[in-house]
Amino acid sequence: MCSSGACAGGTAEVADANPPSIEPVVPPRSAPDDVLRVEHISKRFGPVTALRDVNLHLKKGEVLGLLGDNGAGKSTLIKIIAGFQKQDAGTMTLHGQPYEPKSVDDARAKGVDTVFQDLALIDELSVYHNLYLRRERLLKPFPILANRQMKREARTALDEIGINIPRIDVAVARLSGGQRQAIAVARSTVGSDADIILLDEPLAAMGAKEGAQILDLVARLKAEGKVSIIMILHNYVHVLQACDRVSMIQDGAIALDKPTSETSVEELTDIVVNEYRRAREETHAQEEKSALSKGKFQRPSA
Amino acid sequence: MAASTTGGAAAEKPPPATGGSGRTLRSLTKNPIIERVISLREGSIIVVTIITAIYFSANTSSFFTGDNFKTLLPYFAPFAILAAGEIFVMILGEIDLSIAAMYLFAPILFYKLNSSLGLGLVPSVIVALLCCMAVGALNGFFVAVVGINSFVATLAMLFTFEGLALIVSHGTPVSTPGGQQPLDTFGKVFGGGTYAELIWAVAIIAILQVVLTFTRWGLYTVAIGSNKLGAAEAGVKVAAVTIRNFMLCSLTAGLAGIFDAVRSGTVQPDPSGPNEYLFLAVAAAVIGGTLLTGGSGTVVGALIGALFLGVLKDGLILQGVNANYLLFYTGIAIFIAMTANVFVGRVRRGHSGSG
Repeated sequence: MCSSGACAGGTAEVADANPPSIEPVVPPRSAPDDVLRVEHISKRFGPVTALRDVNLHLKKGEVLGLLGDNGAGKSTLIKIIAGFQKQDAGTMTLHGQPYEPKSVDDARAKGVDTVFQDLALIDELSVYHNLYLRRERLLKPFPILANRQMKREARTALDEIGINIPRIDVAVARLSGGQRQAIAVARSTVGSDADIILLDEPLAAMGAKEGAQILDLVARLKAEGKVSIIMILHNYVHVLQACDRVSMIQDGAIALDKPTSETSVEELTDIVVNEYRRAREETHAQEEKSALSKGKFQRPSA
Repeated sequence: MAASTTGGAAAEKPPPATGGSGRTLRSLTKNPIIERVISLREGSIIVVTIITAIYFSANTSSFFTGDNFKTLLPYFAPFAILAAGEIFVMILGEIDLSIAAMYLFAPILFYKLNSSLGLGLVPSVIVALLCCMAVGALNGFFVAVVGINSFVATLAMLFTFEGLALIVSHGTPVSTPGGQQPLDTFGKVFGGGTYAELIWAVAIIAILQVVLTFTRWGLYTVAIGSNKLGAAEAGVKVAAVTIRNFMLCSLTAGLAGIFDAVRSGTVQPDPSGPNEYLFLAVAAAVIGGTLLTGGSGTVVGALIGALFLGVLKDGLILQGVNANYLLFYTGIAIFIAMTANVFVGRVRRGHSGSG
């Protein structure tokens, strides 16, 4: 979780500070220019509750950062919006209309495109085939792939969004991690009419330089003004730098929803540290209780 | 401890033997023509097949003759057709063992439809092939929807339909309808003509190679074999493509079965031959450069792989090798060919990696 080191700094001071009051569940909010609204979404996998009651909204042209501990339910939420999984309860609206994607294809047809955490790239296929997978250009009226056209268009599109790949007819297996992620992100914009892009940990396992390139790409997409983006991130600095607003999931519900201009690394850290402390105290309390009951353990004086 | 103290010095040294042999090989393959052949996926087996053919030509005067080519045809055309369909399943990362059953069952069904139900020759072929495709769809259903491992599912299908073939035929050989001399147009087209199977094999392989390389179907097949979850997340309908490929595989197997029955004039309800063909077809596909692990493969490679096996068998027979030794030599030759394949493949990756 704290891989960036951003959450390590504040720990000592926070211990004495009053924990910021967190509403357990942020109620549904909205703005007049919302493109996507997610209300009261819940999802269970057998005995595990992944999402309890999630409310989220996304404004036009906005970059929303989604934070949360491992297992908090971020990826599940993204998969539901992407049409890859279906929620148990709750509703979604897209441009004011009810939004019930039946599949990833269906969601994509409605303008919601996703870059999944495990990179839906196909190692054996070329860069341009990956970019156009499921929206291939054909030499109509024949069912033959218009490879030359795709190659040309892919090159132009990649140049436009500033991704530098020397050869686009090589298999993506040959590319570096950063290049692959850039292609995965580009997939949602090249040859697509998507106006909402979901990025599931676009900076995972990436060096500082490569990560910066992806954030630059996001900034360029935002500057173009055509798309709204929800992005799962771990590094608070990245969130504050690249996002307009931040939502934090804890225990399957949104625990915080604020514009990034009104929050800080410290506040985000506090929330997480408090979460950790609460979890630890609970564990300790249980341990002490069981130890005291056995009479083997003297509680140390405070 | 000793290892760790000398480790630093060892790291300074040039890479060990493997690197050295790689360099010699690389300088050998600097020749642009050789380099081009090797850069093809089928390149290595083309080289191996040519070397094998040259060896037999040099040692056996009757090898490089028109008559012998005709002898050679049935040694590879049916395997090439079987392998062409199998490759579509293998690229998915699956395997279809039931092709042997389809190869056996299709001509028996064809005979029953024609002689018992009085259906015309061509309609009988079509209905028999449609039944094969239905079995293929069932294979695909068990693999992609139910989730049974393809080896197990198609093994069960292999036994089921070979059993069914024996039940339906009562284990008795019959004359193939349209396969009797003198052959009419039907007999000549559907496998009886000297070059009929070769022409079918080349046509099927050409069409399927185009499908694999230049259509969505082929693209999705490679995508699923390379990254099934990723393909699904991208919106590829994994189950539909899997079922379709199993149907294709059963279709080509049934077709090869009918061709061979017409060519030989007899429908033989004996599973042992088809079972051997199954393994030869998979061998042809693998030798031709298709991975058992999926994600990569070539249909043209199947033709060359089958040709290699055919040349080998034919050449050994012409050399007067004892029939008891044929399988043994075939096994050894496959080892040698596959080792050469891996070796040349490494050189190829080295080339393309730097280029």
